[in-house]
Amino acid sequence: MLVGSLVFESREAAERMSFELLIVVSIVAGFIGAMSGMGGGVVLIPAMTLLGMNIKEAIAISIVSVIATSSGSASAYVRDRITNLKVGMFLEMFTIMGALVGATITLSTGNNILFFLFGAVLLFSWFALFLQRHEVWRAYAWQDRFSRWLQLEGSYYDQPTAQTIHYHAVRAYFGGPLMFGAGLVAGMLGIGAGALKVLIHDLVMGLPPKVSTTTSNLIIGVTALAGTSVYLAAGVIDPGLVAPVMLGILLGAFAGTRVLVRLRNETVRQFFLVVLLVLGVEMLLRGLGVGL
Amino acid sequence: MSTEDRVKKRDEALEARMDVLVSYVLLTGVVTSVILVILGLAWHWLNTGRLGVDYRISGMNLFEFVIDNLRQVTSAEVRPRLLVSLGIAALMLTPYVRVLASLLFFAFAEHNRKYVVFTGFVLSVLTFSLFLR
Repeated sequence: MLVGSLVFESREAAERMSFELLIVVSIVAGFIGAMSGMGGGVVLIPAMTLLGMNIKEAIAISIVSVIATSSGSASAYVRDRITNLKVGMFLEMFTIMGALVGATITLSTGNNILFFLFGAVLLFSWFALFLQRHEVWRAYAWQDRFSRWLQLEGSYYDQPTAQTIHYHAVRAYFGGPLMFGAGLVAGMLGIGAGALKVLIHDLVMGLPPKVSTTTSNLIIGVTALAGTSVYLAAGVIDPGLVAPVMLGILLGAFAGTRVLVRLRNETVRQFFLVVLLVLGVEMLLRGLGVGL
Repeated sequence: MSTEDRVKKRDEALEARMDVLVSYVLLTGVVTSVILVILGLAWHWLNTGRLGVDYRISGMNLFEFVIDNLRQVTSAEVRPRLLVSLGIAALMLTPYVRVLASLLFFAFAEHNRKYVVFTGFVLSVLTFSLFLR
């Protein structure tokens, strides 16, 4: 893809991208993003770059709309009382620092590297989700002192199984620093990096899948704001393109949220796998200079 | 009912109220933003017959961005853009206000010093980033 090398010639390319097309692409991205807890950016950025947009501009537009997706669906999840606000607050301390550093790095990085990293992050998420595909969540019998000190526990009502599920988080001392990495990726690539956050919640902190996806959704909004500030200060954000993308993504996310609450954990997980694999391979190949 | 149970019950009730508060903050922010952007786009469409708004901003922080737009309010052509910009500003302030609301809640309702510190840290870093130049 030679488009990537036409740095910031993208303004003309973007003008050729019609308002209507941007809206449609964004609706699809928003739907998938909300359903999976990944945020809309994971689908949006590959799609917009395929349509000819410069990747840095796509990243900047995406991260603004990630605030919208996250806040919109988080609003519904929080009211359904699945999200754990304390887990969210604790981890946000790490993700916002990561996002500030990440966005700053992106501004001075080559486009091919960004394509490559985007693909690599997606494939890594795919691999990790694939490995734990058949594991069913079980509550940890123990809790370390630090996580207990942080009061990281909760319960929620699970609609499909009609049960109240009690849980507590473990290993917050690993979870926090790892979330700095997730924030770094989010800021760099303009995505929610929800897949990474969910992984850390699931594998390291032992949260039930639904709590981890919804809490990651909440964290994503604040993290994206930190990243957005950096891109706004650098002048990479084009409000004329943000407008349709944001509206489309919200519409899609609204629909996606309605579907998620009714789905069982395993269905959500399998849906992740297909989407992540296709997009990851595509971006990785473009990063390596192989046009599709 | 033991004291411990009562404390636990009170905490749960507080958390439920906090969830409702956070939920409303997020919803209000996003809805305000969407309304502003739609109005701006509709106005622009009525003026020009085109849906796409075309403008680019130079590097600035959120406050300069809003002030820069307000300064141009006298120009009729720019007014629809102003609504779109304010919509984006409202969107950016949504997570910020959510964190602020959480801070007030932890400080004055739950009296949870630990989480006041955590939330205060997040709020400070976000404030700093909004003033980035």
